Amino acid sequence: MHILGHMITGYQVAFVALAGITVGAAVGVVLMPNILRAALLLGATLVGVAGLFVLMNAPFLAAVQIMVYVGGITTMIILAIFLSNRVMKIGFSQAIYNPILAAGAAGTMFLFLFVTVVNSVWIKNAVNLEPNKSGVGVEAVAAALLQPYVFPFELASVVLLAVLVGAVVIAKEDPHDA
Amino acid sequence: MHESLYGIPVSWYLTVGAMLFCIGLFGMMIRRSAIGMLLSIELMLNAANINLVAFGSYLKLPTIAGQAFTVFVITLAAAEAAIGLAIVINIYRLEQHIDADKITAMKL
Repeated sequence: MHILGHMITGYQVAFVALAGITVGAAVGVVLMPNILRAALLLGATLVGVAGLFVLMNAPFLAAVQIMVYVGGITTMIILAIFLSNRVMKIGFSQAIYNPILAAGAAGTMFLFLFVTVVNSVWIKNAVNLEPNKSGVGVEAVAAALLQPYVFPFELASVVLLAVLVGAVVIAKEDPHDA
Repeated sequence: MHESLYGIPVSWYLTVGAMLFCIGLFGMMIRRSAIGMLLSIELMLNAANINLVAFGSYLKLPTIAGQAFTVFVITLAAAEAAIGLAIVINIYRLEQHIDADKITAMKL
């Protein structure tokens, strides 16, 4: 497909669509006055990021993203919103800090990052522009997690156990209170 | 590094990551409710994940480090969300609100 003399591939169309979903839903997450809608839009953002992972040859991470983030974290956040339901009335309009100042700060940050990204010279000695599909699949991730990164992997399981116990202790109803 | 993967240069992914991070930063500054701030933190963590996976995939030598680190980031994000929401629920039970500016129980 040609647009304005440029060759447009299907992958580029897919990238633009996924990036649009991701960024558009992220803007909604931030600006939506109703926190429940914001949480649901966060799910859309996370699905868009999972699509980007697929485009970057990381199918395992896309699956992890869907299962842990969309299936787990979003559900947990929505449950927390239901458990503290008066929160839903707190919205963007009640922001005490100056939203224009915040937008200026975030915009400046983005401009700085964008200029840096665009002006950087990435080392391009690439002869074959075909993606290297060997060594990016599930087997490669498993081998990496159990060989060079086995210590952080085990540490992560300890962290998860501590979090499990800690979350129960913190959220548990105080028997002296009731 | 590969010049492009499927015709997409690496700078496109980095730009999306930068946009997501700055949107999260903006949300962090304007939200008052603790859950809204947690949502913004998730956005910023995802921006970092996009950059990690992008650099991992575009390197000419196949490296899995980017993906492995992203797995750890996702794990810790889940942990952070669990603890954060437990604290939010506990604070709501104590104070009947989760406005981050009015939580002053630990103030001197």
